[in-house]
Amino acid sequence: MCVVLGSEGAMPCLLILQMACETECRPLGVFKCQLCALTAPYSYVGQKPPDTQSVVLLEESYVMKDPFTSDKDRFLILGSRCSLCSRLVCVGPECSIFYSKRFCLPCVQKNIDAFPQEIRQDLEKRKVPSKRPASQPSSRT
Amino acid sequence: MGRSGPGDQNRGQFCDSIVISHNMPPPRTREGRDPRDRHRAPREEEAPEKWDFNCPDTRRLFEDAFFRDEDYIRQGSEECQKFWTFFERLQKFQNLKTARKEERDAQHPKHSIPALADLPCTYDARYRINLSILGPDPRGARGLGGRLPPERVSEFRRALLHYLDFGQKQSFGRLAKLQRERAALPIAQYANRILQTLKEHQVVVVAGDTGCGKSTQVPQYLLAAGFSHVACTQPRRIACVSLAKRVGFESLSQYGSQVGYQIRFESTCSAATKIVFLTVGLLLRQIQREPSLPQYQVLIVDEVHERHLHNDFLLGVLRRLLPQRPDLKVILMSATINISLFSSYFDKAPVVQVPGRLFPITVTYQPQEVEPTTSKLEKLDPRPFLRVLEAIDNKYPPEERGDLLVFLSGMAEISTVLEAAQTYASHTQRWVVLPLHSALSVADQDKVFDVAPAGVRKCILSTNIAETSVTIDGIRFVVDSGKVKEMSYDPQAKLQRLQEFWISQASAEQRKGRAGRTGPGVCFRLYAESDYDAFAPYPVPEIRRVALDALVLQMKSMSVGDPRTFPFIEPPPPASLETAILYLRDQGALDSSEALTPIGSLLAQLPVDVVIGKMLILGSTFHLAEPVLTIAAALSVQSPFTRSAQSSPECAAARRPLESDQGDPFTLFNVFNAWVQVKCERSGNSRKWCRRRGVEEHRLYEMANLRRQFKELLEDHGLLAGAQVPTPGDSYSRLWQRRERQALYQLKRQHEEGGGRRRKVLRLHEDQDGSSDEDRGSAAARGAGDSVDIQDVKFKLRHNLEQLQAAASSAAALPRDQTALLKLVLARGLYPQLAVPDPFNSGRKDSDQIFHTQAKQGTVLHPTCVFANSPEVLHTREQEAGDGEGGRDDKDKMSSRHQLLAFVSLLETNKPYLVNCVRVPALQSLLLFSRSLDTNGDCSRLVADGWLELQLAGSESAVGLLAAALRLRARWESVLDRQLARQARRPEEDEDDEAPVNRGEVAALSRELLRFTASKVPYSLRRLTGLEVQNLYVGPQTVTAAPSLPGLFGSSTLSPHPTKGGYAVTDFLTYNCLMSDADLYSDCLRTFWTCPHCGLHMPLTPLERMAHENTCPQAPRDGPPGAEDAAPEPPQKVSALQRPYHCEACQQDFLFTPTEVLRHRRQHV
Repeated sequence: MCVVLGSEGAMPCLLILQMACETECRPLGVFKCQLCALTAPYSYVGQKPPDTQSVVLLEESYVMKDPFTSDKDRFLILGSRCSLCSRLVCVGPECSIFYSKRFCLPCVQKNIDAFPQEIRQDLEKRKVPSKRPASQPSSRT
Repeated sequence: MGRSGPGDQNRGQFCDSIVISHNMPPPRTREGRDPRDRHRAPREEEAPEKWDFNCPDTRRLFEDAFFRDEDYIRQGSEECQKFWTFFERLQKFQNLKTARKEERDAQHPKHSIPALADLPCTYDARYRINLSILGPDPRGARGLGGRLPPERVSEFRRALLHYLDFGQKQSFGRLAKLQRERAALPIAQYANRILQTLKEHQVVVVAGDTGCGKSTQVPQYLLAAGFSHVACTQPRRIACVSLAKRVGFESLSQYGSQVGYQIRFESTCSAATKIVFLTVGLLLRQIQREPSLPQYQVLIVDEVHERHLHNDFLLGVLRRLLPQRPDLKVILMSATINISLFSSYFDKAPVVQVPGRLFPITVTYQPQEVEPTTSKLEKLDPRPFLRVLEAIDNKYPPEERGDLLVFLSGMAEISTVLEAAQTYASHTQRWVVLPLHSALSVADQDKVFDVAPAGVRKCILSTNIAETSVTIDGIRFVVDSGKVKEMSYDPQAKLQRLQEFWISQASAEQRKGRAGRTGPGVCFRLYAESDYDAFAPYPVPEIRRVALDALVLQMKSMSVGDPRTFPFIEPPPPASLETAILYLRDQGALDSSEALTPIGSLLAQLPVDVVIGKMLILGSTFHLAEPVLTIAAALSVQSPFTRSAQSSPECAAARRPLESDQGDPFTLFNVFNAWVQVKCERSGNSRKWCRRRGVEEHRLYEMANLRRQFKELLEDHGLLAGAQVPTPGDSYSRLWQRRERQALYQLKRQHEEGGGRRRKVLRLHEDQDGSSDEDRGSAAARGAGDSVDIQDVKFKLRHNLEQLQAAASSAAALPRDQTALLKLVLARGLYPQLAVPDPFNSGRKDSDQIFHTQAKQGTVLHPTCVFANSPEVLHTREQEAGDGEGGRDDKDKMSSRHQLLAFVSLLETNKPYLVNCVRVPALQSLLLFSRSLDTNGDCSRLVADGWLELQLAGSESAVGLLAAALRLRARWESVLDRQLARQARRPEEDEDDEAPVNRGEVAALSRELLRFTASKVPYSLRRLTGLEVQNLYVGPQTVTAAPSLPGLFGSSTLSPHPTKGGYAVTDFLTYNCLMSDADLYSDCLRTFWTCPHCGLHMPLTPLERMAHENTCPQAPRDGPPGAEDAAPEPPQKVSALQRPYHCEACQQDFLFTPTEVLRHRRQHV
């Protein structure tokens, strides 16, 4: 089950593989959404996440390794800059939308008529549930 | 753009009829920019019957093109399957949508802001996706362009895009949720205060009740604040693992290794680790190695309120360490129990108190009427518990969710209530009843976390394990019996007692709190409020309840000074300390000045009971390491035998071939070895194999782990030659082995990934009419169905199966004498834990067999004990000597086959039980191991350790045996001493050290020990009565003329024993100090005697006879016991006064003292 990884050749075992990953994925800094204050360490900024050859991003994104899987080439896009106000925002639906570019919600609201009907409807729909208080935190281990 | 040419020519089998009006997107460019992509309506009707995305061949073509090894999704992966599922759903969804979707014209005015001006005017869901796939180049990859119609490729790409976007949304959603939850924890608002206080003080107490999040959050706050060497101790191993996982997950480095754990057998730490969760025991060992603990910046001691023995000790050690390490920060984390105790212990350390998150809980007191004089042995009455179930059913509609947690004192109580509650549940169909205690398998324990079906409540019957260790969500009702079973320790009898107590107020509150974690709750207390008021405020700390041997040993090895003056947070009872110190001196771990002996310092490093540690050391001396390792490991874990098996005859029958009538340790030994064989031969079946025999496999895994740890420790200490891993010779098999290991690692990794998710499987409990036993079986079956046996995988990764198998198969054929030697090793290790069978046992029922230890009369065999079913092997069967003067009963029966039971522990529940017994020959064991042996004048009457009397048939054999025993003991001691001395000064240079204990010597010693053990001398065995013990000794004598007995027992000079009377021959043997009806001067009576070796014939006292035999040069080296010469060390044995003497008359050489020479000459006169 030895995985051959690009030019690095055959790894003797997965432990080493894991270690290699750790050194590669060292965070560059901490991403912080300027709207909701979500914070997470990012390991890459750009449009071509490392270790992934077949996917490109359509915006300059702050990216981390997907923490919910052990696959080292899985990435998670955290957010990017709003193409209008340049605020750094997360991709969460409460903070921004993507419609061929990234827009933070305040900017969308300001320019709502520039967006197609579908987006407007979508935002309308979204408002209702977003008023719901943060869900009851579930169990702590 | 436009159609790609090759597609037309090699359209292949699929697309003859497809109207190609669709634009193939250009290769290697961004997807979905061109609104014309969507012009797909025309083909909607014609495709379905021809085109089948579900066809495996079709899918494979796509997979070949898009899911290559370098792609985001790989062919054949789980992800790939998930994609196709997603794909199917998306197709269905889009079919619905496209039906009512009509084309809209792009009528949007251009926006003035450039960023908004170039927004696509026709909406398409694809514009909402911020990534794009680089597909295979159709021109480069002819195969794809050729065989797949472009619009299908486009459809596929589109789906793939949505899939990736969906994945992103999902993961981001989880991330956001995680952060929301963290922020909502009560402790979140205290993060800064904690960090600030820590900046200003060396020690901070963080007090917060369960649910406030302290265990998971505080380490993360430290990490965020830039600390990088954080250790967090936990009282339990499981907590280390689960906390490391949780914190790793929350801090988003689950698969990086900033967060790790370290427990007895496992460590996930690396250079990158910043927080490590470890057990208190392990931290103490680290301190033992490096007392200043330089590797840590911050130390979090969690759950200090639980007052575990090690935790209390750790606090003491830290208090001393802090002034030397002013840079070390310590956070004590506690429930809001007795906080001031900890604060004041650390010089009024500041306290940050965090409120727990508890909903209001209604308390109902339901005191039970005391039933008129029900005997103590009677079972618990389950009715009050059923009444609560009933009350809940009546009062709360089933739609209102909320489970019930019942606190009972112990396992027996749980099974009583379980039975009754299950009957009730099968009537009402509204309850799922589950037991929860530490003896359950992990799989069964995990069941309590599953969710009951709608309209059904869980009823969890638990010991106090659910008070703090296990947290179950969704509990709305709590029933508190108010009782707990706790081990208490009787230092006088060295007896552990499992007794039922009232709980403390703190525990009662803790139990109550479990009802209010997810919503308002109800707590039913099955006692009166006045009872509650009478409860002790806090539970008794462990240090006041348990044997302190191990603690004292550890304190000694950490050189923290006299345990009596150590500044414990609350000192242990002085009597417990004294008993422990005395015991360790008895066991040879401490010398007379209470300093650690070599054996003691070794024992201090073995994480086991002193007796088991001794076994390991003794076993390695005799090259019995392999079997002793297994036995020691087996005796150090909980019994692997499940309770349910006791009632199942099939189980009992399947287990029988593994039982050994030598005793429980040998049965465990057989079980382990057979299991290893099963693992080697047909792995995966081991789980079934275990179930069939009523064996908890988990315990066997623990044994394997422990065994390996012991082995490494013995190797580290030079007691065991380092393992030469037998590497397979050829490169092929090496390669194969490596492959196999890699495959195993892969499996392990997959399991770990899947682990989090798999657990939440909802459980529909359909088998609730079944009895509890079926329940258990089905749970195990369910477990077996789960693809990989991760335990098996871990086992194979951790252990060298070949080595284990070699050890196991050699053990299967353990020769008879090896078994006998092994028994000696066990007996010496276990000494003085011996029990003597009651003389009337042979006339009693199997279940009524009683045994007596020195301190406790009337103990019984534990029901799991192998002798409980076959007590006859313990009876003194024969009267072989025949001359047993009529034999009134067994009491004074003369036999050479009296046996004693050596036992591992004495546990009192409703009766005092002997746990894990081995039978050993009585006379020989007592002669070899007794700390005190007293004799009468002719040595035919012996009293061992002041409680067992041995009456030997003949004085001659008695003297012979005694002399042999003395020599054997001296030699055994010397072999052991030299071996331990060697390991004590064991730096690297000892490779060319002359082997201090040569193999030949050990072999000779074992031979002689075996011969000694096999010697057949009829004797009677009897426990002395209390009165006899009081009047045992003659006491100090006025006539102090020491008999001139040069060379009797080595060079020791005889001195009158100050209290017993008689003469102290060695530190354990006192000659002629026993009070007897016979003539006080019997020892002075000389009778004519002929030496069987040299033919010497003269009147001698028994003592003189022994003296002669010990030194008789004619005695054959390996002669029968009693006639041996201590050849290996003659210089030591020779009295200073002895000189070689050649007798002219008889032409023989002697070693004689001047008096002996005279005596000898007289013969020839």
